[in-house]
Amino acid sequence: MMARPPSTEREHVVRLRGLQLSFGDNHVLRGFDLDVHRGENVMVLGRSGSGKSVLIKCVVRLLEPTAGQVEVIGQDVRALDDEALDRLRVRMGFLFQSSALYDGMTVQENLEFPLRRNWVATTPEETDARVEEALQAVGLAHTRRMYPAELSGGMKRRIGLARTLIMKPEVVLYDEPTTGLDPITSLEMVELILGLQRNYGTSSIIISHDLNVAKRAADRIALLHEGRKYTEGTYDELRASTDPLVQRFFVMM
Amino acid sequence: MAGLPIAIERSLREAGSIAHFAGRFFRNAFHPRFAWDELLRQCVVNGYRSLALVGITAFIMGLVLTVQSRPTLARFGAESMLPAMVAVSMVREIVPVITALICAGKIGSSMGAELGSMRVTEQIDAMEVSGTNPFRYLVVTRVWSTILTLPILVVLADVIAIGASWVGVNMRATVSWSLFQQQVIDSLAYSDFLPAFIKTYLFGLVIGLVGCHTGWHAAKGTAGVGRAAHKAVVLGSLLVFIIDLVAVQVTDLMGFN
Repeated sequence: MMARPPSTEREHVVRLRGLQLSFGDNHVLRGFDLDVHRGENVMVLGRSGSGKSVLIKCVVRLLEPTAGQVEVIGQDVRALDDEALDRLRVRMGFLFQSSALYDGMTVQENLEFPLRRNWVATTPEETDARVEEALQAVGLAHTRRMYPAELSGGMKRRIGLARTLIMKPEVVLYDEPTTGLDPITSLEMVELILGLQRNYGTSSIIISHDLNVAKRAADRIALLHEGRKYTEGTYDELRASTDPLVQRFFVMM
Repeated sequence: MAGLPIAIERSLREAGSIAHFAGRFFRNAFHPRFAWDELLRQCVVNGYRSLALVGITAFIMGLVLTVQSRPTLARFGAESMLPAMVAVSMVREIVPVITALICAGKIGSSMGAELGSMRVTEQIDAMEVSGTNPFRYLVVTRVWSTILTLPILVVLADVIAIGASWVGVNMRATVSWSLFQQQVIDSLAYSDFLPAFIKTYLFGLVIGLVGCHTGWHAAKGTAGVGRAAHKAVVLGSLLVFIIDLVAVQVTDLMGFN
C-alpha cells in the first residue's frame, strides 16, 4: 500500500483562516484555523459550549462568521451568492446531531427530497436505485415506508447519514454523530463514517467527544480551546502529549 | 405605564419584521424553480381540508342571521326584505370576515406550529444545507396556497350561507327556493360582491404571511412552538380586522357602499 503524501502536499478541500464568530459580547470563535485535505477525516475536539457546532455551521454558512476566511472545494463560501452557495452545498453533506429528518415525510421521501429538489435523478427508476443504495449502505433498507417518529435514535441518525450520502458529497460535516447512542450503535456509526471515506473518498470534519471516533475514525484531531486551535495531531500524538490541557481531555475521555 | 414604550417598541419591531418577511415573499413569489408539487399539497391541506369547517360555520351564520333578523324586519313590515338583507350582509361582510377568522385560527396556527417545529428541530437548516431554499419551498408555497384558496372558500361559504338563510326563512313561512333565489340575485350587485372578493385575497396573503412568519422565527423549545401558533392566530385575526376596516373606507370613498 502506497504511503499517503504528507498532508501539506495534498489538496485541501476545506480551509479555515482566522475564523471569528461572536454573539453580542460572547466571542465564541476568536481566530480558528483548520485545513482538511481530500480523503481525510479531521475531528474537532473541545469542551461543551466551546463553539464546535458553531464552527461547522460557519463552514456551510448556516451561520455568518464575524471575520475570517472559509474556503470549501476551492470556493470562498462567504463571497458566494445564494444560487452559487446552494450549488456548493449540494457537494457537501451535513449530519445534524438531531438527525433533522423531515417528520412529515417517510424515510423514502426524506431521501428522495434532495434528489428531486436538485434535479439529480431524472427518472423514478434512477431515484429508486439511489434510495436503495443509500439505505443499503446504512443497513436500513426495510425502513422505506416508515416515518421518523417510528424510528429509534440510532436509526434516525443512520437515515440522516443516508440522506447525506445520497447526493454523493465530497465533504461531510458530522455534528456529534455518536452522541446519545449506545456503544454498539456508536461503533456502527464509526464504521459507516470510515466506509464513506474508503468507498466514496469523502473528506470530513467530525465534531465529537467520543473516544472511539477519535481513535478509529479521525486521521487528525484539532483541539478547540477559547475560540482558537490549541493544538492538532493524530490520536497517538495527542495521547502521548505532555501538555496539561491536552492530557486533561484524553484522561477525561 | 412605564412598560408602554417597551410594548410599543416591540410592536414596531414585530411590524418591521413582518414587513421584511413580506418583502422577501414578494421577491421570491415568482421564482423560476417553483415547487408546484408542494403548492398543490398545501392547497389541499389548507383549502380542501378547511371546507367542512367553513361550510358548517357558513350554514350556522346564514341560519342564525336570518332567524335573528326576522323579528326586527317584521316590526317594520319588511319581512319580505329578509332574503335581500341577509344576502347583502353575508356577501359583503360577514362571510368573508368570519371565514378569514376561521382560517386564521385553523390554517395560521397550523402553519405557525408546523414551521416552528421544523425550526426548533433543525429541519429548516437541514433543508437549507441540502441545496434547497427553504423559504421558497416552505413559505412561498404556503402563502400562495392561502391567497388562492381563501377566495374559493369564501365563495362556497356565501352559497352555503344563502342556502341556510332559505332554510331559516322557511322555518316561519313558506318560500320556494326559486323565489328566494330570485330575490337574492335581484338584491346583489357587483358592488356587493367584487370589493368583498378582492379583500379575501388580502386576507389570504395576511394569514399566510403571519402564520409563516411566526413559525419561521419561533424561539427554541416547545414553548416557542406554542407561542408561534398562538401569535399566528392573534396577529392574523387582528390584521384581518384592520384590512377590513381599511377596505370599507376605500369602498366608501369609491362609492360602493
